[in-house]
Amino acid sequence: MNTFLILLPLMMTMLYSLATVPILVWMERRIAAFIQDRVGPNRCNIGGIRLGGIIQSIADMMKLVFKEEFLPSHIKNKLYYLIAPSIAFVSAFLTFMVIPYADNITLNGETYHMQALPTELGVLWFLAFAGLGVYGIILGGWASHSKFAILGSMRATAQVISYEVAMGLALVSMLITYGTINLNEMVSYQTQSFFIIPAWGAIIQPLATIIFIVTAFAETNRAPFDAAESESEIVAGYHTEYGAMKFGLFFVAEYIAMAASGALIVTIFFGGYQLPYLSTSDLINHFETILWGVIIFAVLTSILFLRWMNKNSRFEFSSNNETKIYTTLIIGFTFFATIVMAYYAFGFGETHEVGVMILQFVVFTVKLFVLHFVFIWVRWTLPRFRYDQTQKLGWNILLPLSLANIFITAIVVVIGVNYGN
Amino acid sequence: MGIKVVHRHGNTFKEKMYISAIFSGMKTTLKHFSTNLKDATQIPTVCYPDEKPTDITPRYRGVHRLTHRKEDNSIACVACFMCATACPSNCIDIVAMAREDGLDEKMPKVFNIDLLECVFCGYCVEACPCDAIRMDSGIYSVVGETREEFIYDKEKLLSIKGISKEEYSLAK
Repeated sequence: MNTFLILLPLMMTMLYSLATVPILVWMERRIAAFIQDRVGPNRCNIGGIRLGGIIQSIADMMKLVFKEEFLPSHIKNKLYYLIAPSIAFVSAFLTFMVIPYADNITLNGETYHMQALPTELGVLWFLAFAGLGVYGIILGGWASHSKFAILGSMRATAQVISYEVAMGLALVSMLITYGTINLNEMVSYQTQSFFIIPAWGAIIQPLATIIFIVTAFAETNRAPFDAAESESEIVAGYHTEYGAMKFGLFFVAEYIAMAASGALIVTIFFGGYQLPYLSTSDLINHFETILWGVIIFAVLTSILFLRWMNKNSRFEFSSNNETKIYTTLIIGFTFFATIVMAYYAFGFGETHEVGVMILQFVVFTVKLFVLHFVFIWVRWTLPRFRYDQTQKLGWNILLPLSLANIFITAIVVVIGVNYGN
Repeated sequence: MGIKVVHRHGNTFKEKMYISAIFSGMKTTLKHFSTNLKDATQIPTVCYPDEKPTDITPRYRGVHRLTHRKEDNSIACVACFMCATACPSNCIDIVAMAREDGLDEKMPKVFNIDLLECVFCGYCVEACPCDAIRMDSGIYSVVGETREEFIYDKEKLLSIKGISKEEYSLAK
């Protein structure tokens, strides 16, 4: 139990960063298809089981892994060329390490952190590694020895330099508000209520939220700030000369970086793993009541989902009745989960802390995926910014705004501390 | 002619904020997304081999067919070679023979169309003076395992049914 609880956040990190990538790719493609009135990938299957198209992204990854590794002969710095994708990938992956997935859990008098790296320096770690991820892109573009690649990496460099300033300053105003750089304490701060609305960062500091989200888009090289890989101008930007899994690592790194900055946005601005109004101690004290709520919610959502699924399955793909299999699985799982939860809800079980931890994992995951949806939604709505527009937005608008926000925040905090209550 | 002053967009404060334009754009895409998510069956995409197209009309140029005469259901073709002459890909192979039943002078002994060479231009249909060859079968996919299977002979072409209202040759 002891070792397991220490290893649990590490496993969660692996899950959130690596295992979500196929799901994110699938989400990206299906949401893009729906936005453009298309259907999206829905054919790829294993024995007739398609999982709504997720199998497609697994097949794509298999393809990338087993493709021939080639090395263009004009590349002189082979080492840099080869380690560049790994730098992008590893730093995107390490960014995730400080995100708290649930509150600290105390079992038998011992406290366990639900962060893979239980450091006090949460935000600084994020800034360090989010910035480092771009070095992979820069190095890859430079070592590729091709004009498109170097143009792409130059764009990435300039963009990150100009947006990291505004991002850091937006974070500073949040740090002043919360009075801490520990992500876990930030989340506990957000369980308070501000009159009747939850004191989420997005509500206390709307300006900083917008600035941070915009800069996070730029930092992860996602649309509308993906000038570094704009295929209409410079082929594929920094990964023009890359193929097979070397390209795959860049591709995965982009999604992990997106997931990591999404997780940080959730943690800092949208209450992290906490439900609004309910702090961890509230959850533990009223665990039975909350569990009943969860049971009702689970049953309702699975009924709604089943109805939606039966209405929207367009065609039967193979001889096994796919919809029927899913229906059985979902009903069976809901039934099983309801029985397990009811066992605890009637007060037989004792480990409320573990239950609350699982609930917080779920809340965090749901919030994270809502944010991923926003990332994807924005990508398929907004056209790419022209390069000078990107710079203008960064230096002329976001930077002064974030500076002004710091001043206002500081004044309000000083007045609040000195003349408050 | 006066001078028409075109208003230059993008200079007002609201437009420079981007925010309102971004949100209206995101509203549009969300509307598309939610209607398609609610009811995926109304997406116009045809998932082809599993769902068949429903919009094939008689004017669609499908696989050729040879028509019959209304009087005695015999072949309408008179082996005039107009279609073979008009054919840009030389895929029609006709051997003529004398017609014994007195309805006409000639009829084809062999009438082969090589569908692998055919470009489905429809010139043969345009050229035919007897309305004997048509492309209104509505067949859009021809499959086979050998090259020979794609050479449609007289019997095969006569056996294909059309999807238009006129089943027989309209030639007088």
